[in-house]
Amino acid sequence: MNQVNYTQAFEELQAIVNEIERGEISVDELSEKVKRAAFLIRICKNKLMTTEADVSRILKDLDKTADESEG
Amino acid sequence: MPEQINNLKTFSLSEVTRSIQKALEEKNTGTFWVRAEMNKLNYYNRSGHCFPELVEKRGEVVVAQMRGVIWKMDFITINNNFRRVLREPLKDGIKILFLARVNFDPVHGLSLGILDIDPSFTLGDLEKEKQESLERLKLEGVFSRNKELAIPLLPQRIAIISVETSKGFADFRKVIDGNAWGYHFFYHLFPSILQGEKAVTGIIQQLNRIRKVLYHFDVVAIIRGGGGDIGLSCYNNYSLAREIALFPLPVITGIGHATNETVAEMISHSNAITPTKLAELLIQKFHDFAFPLRDAEKTIIDKSRRLLSEEHARFSHLARLFKSATRNVLQTNKTEMKSMSVTISSEARFRFQSEKHALATLSTGLQKDVTAHLGQSRSEMTSCMISISKGSQYTTQNARQQLEQLRLIMPARTLELLIRSNTEVSAIEKNVFNLSPQNVLKRGYSITLLNGKAIKSINEAGNGDVITTRLSDGQLTSTVEKIKKEKDQ
Repeated sequence: MNQVNYTQAFEELQAIVNEIERGEISVDELSEKVKRAAFLIRICKNKLMTTEADVSRILKDLDKTADESEG
Repeated sequence: MPEQINNLKTFSLSEVTRSIQKALEEKNTGTFWVRAEMNKLNYYNRSGHCFPELVEKRGEVVVAQMRGVIWKMDFITINNNFRRVLREPLKDGIKILFLARVNFDPVHGLSLGILDIDPSFTLGDLEKEKQESLERLKLEGVFSRNKELAIPLLPQRIAIISVETSKGFADFRKVIDGNAWGYHFFYHLFPSILQGEKAVTGIIQQLNRIRKVLYHFDVVAIIRGGGGDIGLSCYNNYSLAREIALFPLPVITGIGHATNETVAEMISHSNAITPTKLAELLIQKFHDFAFPLRDAEKTIIDKSRRLLSEEHARFSHLARLFKSATRNVLQTNKTEMKSMSVTISSEARFRFQSEKHALATLSTGLQKDVTAHLGQSRSEMTSCMISISKGSQYTTQNARQQLEQLRLIMPARTLELLIRSNTEVSAIEKNVFNLSPQNVLKRGYSITLLNGKAIKSINEAGNGDVITTRLSDGQLTSTVEKIKKEKDQ
């Protein structure tokens, strides 16, 4: 897992967009904010294009719990 | 024919059954409508006939039970009617209104021959059952439980309950796997029968399996399609609907039919009419995430660029302003300095001039004064010198006269002084003689000595001390007997 999950990343990104749209970001902060936004966008885009699911893990977990319920 | 055995008239079994058959057929030639519950349909595949188990219940108690018979040809007609009106085939556990005739068969016994079944009666009953399921779920407060679950922004990992080979599943996969935006989904199939009686237990069983691996999934999708719209009343089943309502993940349905929504669809988190629509719904969720993301990116780039260019413009404007302001200040100062330098120069010249003039006047005055002063001083000095010379001549004369006078007086005076001194010395000599210790002792005074030393106080001697008393003509030696102190001393 990333340190920031994509939902948080998405929300934080929206907050930055709102700030920049309302003109609340000064030139001094701009570089930092844009850098952060780029980082957040990368997390979100990555989430759109990949998953961390693992079929073998699911099957293993299903078997495990089946064994437990039988035993 | 009856036989006489031991004087008794006896009948064969077939004679009895034939007699019963005859009696029943004479009395009940007509047909009539019967209400009953069809507990089991008992369809025989090979013959195509059905032998339904018909019951009437009061509460849970069976108060009447009878076997029914539906012959193959009647069954086909009835079943078609059912499919058309109910979108359900004839099945177990429904209430039916049927056209019946009493049958009696010597081998199979009494039964009700079913000639026709009214599908609208069953439809009403099924609808009633559906309403009851809904009522019960609402009463239990679970109706909107699944809807209240938060669906992740990206429902990406999907547990699918479907049939591997179903058209619905294929439709779903086509949309999901072939999406043109590169969205990535993960799904895993939990296979189950999706229609008819067995669907209820099948789906519940798979939901229980998914429950064990919940954390691998974001959402559960029940996907059915391609099987026509028959056999969906299982989705009105109370137990199944309840299981869906209480499932910890959002359940979305794509069951694929055009008639009334089933309870399971109503109770699920979201319902799409078909598997394709369901897949599109998921894609839409991704769009809802991806589009704002793209907009955000664009906004941030545009706004940043604008902010920078605005700042740049502001800065260059300020710089221009600063430049012109500076130039103005310089110009003003330069002019001021120039005029000041002119003023200073002329002022200075004027001052020099006037000072020079004053100095010249002063110098002339001074010269005059000094000359006058010098003249006066010289005459004063001359008169001073004359008076000094006169004064000193006179003083010398005077002193010489006084000296002469003194020289004449001196010898007589000295003689007089010597005589007077001699008389004075004789008087003093007489006084001194009178005061000598010898003369004092003569006058009656004595000196007391202890161990050769004069004592001046009674405190210096003690009783028994030997003291010497010196008088003018000798000395006495005595011993101290008593010491008495003068009181006032």
